[in-house]
Amino acid sequence: MMLALFGTAGVLAALTGGGLLAVRGIRVARGGKSDLIGPARLLAAGAIAAMAALEIALTADDFSLSYVANQHSTATPFPFDVATAWAALEGSIVLWGLVLAGFTWMAVRRYRKAPDSLAAGALAVMGGVAVFFFGLILTVSNPFEVCTSALEVGCAQSSPFPWSTVAAPAQGPGPNPLLQNHYLMAVHPPVLYLGYVGMTVPFAYAISALALGVPGPEWIRRSHRSTLVAWSFLTLGIVLGGWWAYEVLSWGGYWAWDPVENASFMPWLAATAFIHSGLVQQRRQMLQAWNFVLVIAVFSLTILGTFLTRSGTINSVHSFTQSAIGPALLGFLVLVLVGSFSLFATRSNLVSTSPRVDSFVSREGSFLANNLLLTVYGFVVLVGTIYPLLLEAFTGDQTAVGEPFFNRLAVPLSFLLLLFMGLGPVLPWRGSPPGQLWARVRAPIALGLAAGVATALWVSPVGWVVLAVTFATYVTSGIVGLLLEQSRARSAKGGQSIWREMRRVVVNDQTFWAGQMSHIGVVVVVVGIAFAANLSHHDEVTLEPGDQTEFAGYSIVYESPFQVREPNRLVRGARVTVLRGDDFVASLEPRANFYGSDTTGVVTPAVLSRPWGDLYLTLRDIDSERVELVLDTSPLIWMIWLGGILTAGGGAWSVSSRRQERALVRQSLIADV
Amino acid sequence: MSERTRTWLFLTAIATLGVVLVLTVSVQPQTESRVSHIGSRIKCPVCQGESIADSPSQMAQDMMSLIEERVAQGATDAEIETEILAAYSGAVLLDPPMSGRTLALWLAPAAVAILGLAVIVRWRRQTPESGVTTDVGRPSSRRRLIGGVVLTVAMVTIVVIAATALQDREGPAAGVANPEAQDLENVSNETLEAVIAANDDHPDINGWRLALAERYYEAGDYRSAFPHYLAVADSGVASAAEAITSLVRLGWMAYDGNEESETALTLFDRALEIDPSSQVALYLKGTVLWCGDRDADAARDMFADLLDDPELPDESRVQIEEDLADLDAGEECT
Amino acid sequence: MRGQALKWTAWGLVGATVALAVVLASRFGGDPGLVDSPLLGKPAPEFEMEYLDGGGTLALGDLEGEIVILNFFASWCPECRKEHDDFVATADAFAAEGVTVVQATYQEDPEASSRYLDQEGRSDAIHYVHDAGSRTAIAYGVFGIPETFFIDESGTVVGKIIGESDALTLGAAIDAIRRGESPGQEVTGNTQQAPD
Repeated sequence: MMLALFGTAGVLAALTGGGLLAVRGIRVARGGKSDLIGPARLLAAGAIAAMAALEIALTADDFSLSYVANQHSTATPFPFDVATAWAALEGSIVLWGLVLAGFTWMAVRRYRKAPDSLAAGALAVMGGVAVFFFGLILTVSNPFEVCTSALEVGCAQSSPFPWSTVAAPAQGPGPNPLLQNHYLMAVHPPVLYLGYVGMTVPFAYAISALALGVPGPEWIRRSHRSTLVAWSFLTLGIVLGGWWAYEVLSWGGYWAWDPVENASFMPWLAATAFIHSGLVQQRRQMLQAWNFVLVIAVFSLTILGTFLTRSGTINSVHSFTQSAIGPALLGFLVLVLVGSFSLFATRSNLVSTSPRVDSFVSREGSFLANNLLLTVYGFVVLVGTIYPLLLEAFTGDQTAVGEPFFNRLAVPLSFLLLLFMGLGPVLPWRGSPPGQLWARVRAPIALGLAAGVATALWVSPVGWVVLAVTFATYVTSGIVGLLLEQSRARSAKGGQSIWREMRRVVVNDQTFWAGQMSHIGVVVVVVGIAFAANLSHHDEVTLEPGDQTEFAGYSIVYESPFQVREPNRLVRGARVTVLRGDDFVASLEPRANFYGSDTTGVVTPAVLSRPWGDLYLTLRDIDSERVELVLDTSPLIWMIWLGGILTAGGGAWSVSSRRQERALVRQSLIADV
Repeated sequence: MSERTRTWLFLTAIATLGVVLVLTVSVQPQTESRVSHIGSRIKCPVCQGESIADSPSQMAQDMMSLIEERVAQGATDAEIETEILAAYSGAVLLDPPMSGRTLALWLAPAAVAILGLAVIVRWRRQTPESGVTTDVGRPSSRRRLIGGVVLTVAMVTIVVIAATALQDREGPAAGVANPEAQDLENVSNETLEAVIAANDDHPDINGWRLALAERYYEAGDYRSAFPHYLAVADSGVASAAEAITSLVRLGWMAYDGNEESETALTLFDRALEIDPSSQVALYLKGTVLWCGDRDADAARDMFADLLDDPELPDESRVQIEEDLADLDAGEECT
Repeated sequence: MRGQALKWTAWGLVGATVALAVVLASRFGGDPGLVDSPLLGKPAPEFEMEYLDGGGTLALGDLEGEIVILNFFASWCPECRKEHDDFVATADAFAAEGVTVVQATYQEDPEASSRYLDQEGRSDAIHYVHDAGSRTAIAYGVFGIPETFFIDESGTVVGKIIGESDALTLGAAIDAIRRGESPGQEVTGNTQQAPD
């Protein structure tokens, strides 16, 4: 009861804070005076209180909360207790609210240092969004409902009033088995939410700029860091999701073009486009209208993604159960899109006079190409995801859109993107003098082709693999070449060695080189995907204890079955020894975990990771006499995870370097004075 | 080395390497078998989004065996796909064809790409308008803001209304409305008789009997209704309401059909044993006492008791008061 | 871009949003996985399945001229257990009237199914068969069990029930077929896709 009261109070406080922030923010933006720090504090405090209440209830096994009664079990090990807070719908919205409060707080700190209408307006928008999400918690998605009628396991009826008579069950069913299986799953949602929710910041600044009639690069400049932070987390979240799918689900894949996966990918594509076109607006004041459209799209796509995941309108492995949250989210989505585009329509005269591009053979030109390609890519994913709905609504026919469709369009688009990724960094702003582009790009092209030929001759002639290596080498050598060129130039002037100058070149323009690191991360991912997808081996075998089979140069020996009882699950598996020739390599245990009363079991593969790639063993069936194993190899699959981390890392580096740059600028200003 | 030489060197290198590359690269080798290929295009009907080639479920494996068999029999990819789609509809096709209704799926991205290119090119060609506008000051029209708000609210309303109107899909999630009520309407008397005859120990049988018997009763077919009411009344598992209804009907049929007042009264009494306050039983008993037995005093008592019941509906009250008035006036019953 | 063009684009996007929202909203309350059977109104696919307790095979052709009720079930499916008695009763009730009930076991060892039937009771009027390799289930587009198909005297699929049936539903369907109408597709409850 106390925790329910505390949690509900927290939600109310956050709701009030958000509302005050919205109202006062508008007042300040229009020229009035009002305190915005207080409401922001209230919002943050309320959000923290709500989350704390939920976590305490989970870790202390307080089954009087219906959320705890229905999601938690005393047998769940500690870290998964904490993660149960976002294992189901209601708790995940609390997490969303907490992250939103955090980003709002960061925005308020910036406002404090530089209070003006633009910032106040942005805070107002963020307050409004907070009102919506905490309103959701209070109404349709409330984890603080108290259990008023208990079952043996779980809660039958609940009431949102914390003072209701409590009838708490003694035990709950525990979180979904899939969510207890691996630590990555505990981390994946918070990281992803940091990505999603962070996109509220640039959106808020954009709406503020539109409403106040202040076009120009200022709103992008202010929110760029938040965008990068959010983008980095979104990248990391997507990679973590793929990694988890690979490690935990037994199908050996990491991306299925499932609607919910697509829901995270679409904002990522739009955000990547926005980061690039935002740079164009900051440097050259171009693309103003496009940037508004893009940032509205980014934010809307995060809401659309949340909607698709939770509303039960689309069939997906990730679907939460249907609830009234669907219509609420859809209504909010419509409000956001219609409101933003209407506002944009009425202000269109302000943004229609940006300067034009002088030459397409310039960095702006390649950014335009990048944006066009990313937009088409995002559209492909969007259309593919909602097409079954549209078709059925308009014609009654039914269809499914899956991997074959997406791969067919996504792969060529990706390679086209890589093409421009190699051109963009080596092209200067405003255009390149004739010959400079050729001088910078001829070596990367030659090296790329050479690497491709080498791959075709000595690794594998498969087209996609060769193409991936070619493009990766082309992009990477372009970056390296640029670094060498600039270092050489400085070295010639200053007399220092190239290597020392290289360090200085990077330090002097960290945001640029951070971006290049992200680019390298992307091509590493591409190579990993190409190898893992095209050069893998697959086999299915039935073995009796003692049997041996040959696979991909290894000898797989089935030793015996085993069974282990753990506090929250029963583990059944096979002990397998892997040999290379006569040498022992590893002992693997592919298994199936049975949680609670579940009789299907969560099949967990055994993965052996080596520099060349992974050996992947899955249990299909086991009894005392024989085992059915599925054997796979995934060559170079670690490059996908590494590349993903590099890509996200580039974003993080860029954020920290901006802070440094600003500090440097401040220092130099002070020094000048 | 002069710039020109370097350029030529690179061009030659690139050209040569390009040619070598094209020659050494093979078109994706068919490491994937035909069966695998076909399987990767069909969605597993019992899984969430996996293809039958990827899914470990039994159904997926059975479908893959079917495909293997068909491939061995010499069917083409298209024929096999058509066979499976004929059973499951296009909902299991992961790669919609580039024709007919799914053509839009392929055209849409192409359209966006072309549109985007056109916009960029046109944007480049336009002569820029005078100067770069920076800050134009806060717009004064509050009206615009209000208009925007009104527009948004209107849009949201449209969406809600249209969505409610369009909703026509019912699935298990919508809950199953009382199935028996629907089914009963569609079942003919003969079928219901047959079903009842065969379902002696079915838990719902009393409900069915009663429904059928009511049909006969309304149609005036007392003879057909009789055995069913009897069965319900005699069954040990009928609910109070079911038993009372049967007994009361039996009683009335006994009086109305066969003029057996004694039997009727006995049956009404049995009903009243179950629920002494049953309004129907009391009223009918009173009516039979008055009309059949000519025992006006007993009938008056019954009607008076009824009128005392505070939960008596108004129409019934009116009716009973009329009857009581008639009774007191010594009139014949109707 | 000219201000006017921008304005029109923005309003166009507003319109597109509303349209999309309407489409998305129309799916609330429905089952996203529900598929309309393409077999309704088409000739019933041929099948040939072995009798559960031996004694040859049953082909659809053997039942020409009868109304055929084809039900897929298994002992691991709780909904199937609930409707078991109703099928027995319906088969008995209509045995002499041109209605034949065929119950095919789906993804289950025939011995296990036989044991289950011994426990729950059989009807002499029902043809109990085993669908080896799920071939018949695939031919009929089965997504889960229980699913029941209605085939009229001319061999056309005229009805499908997804979920649990009862004697009344079956009776109503038979009535409709006799009147020359098609019962169509009806969802009565959940189906189970695989053994727990």
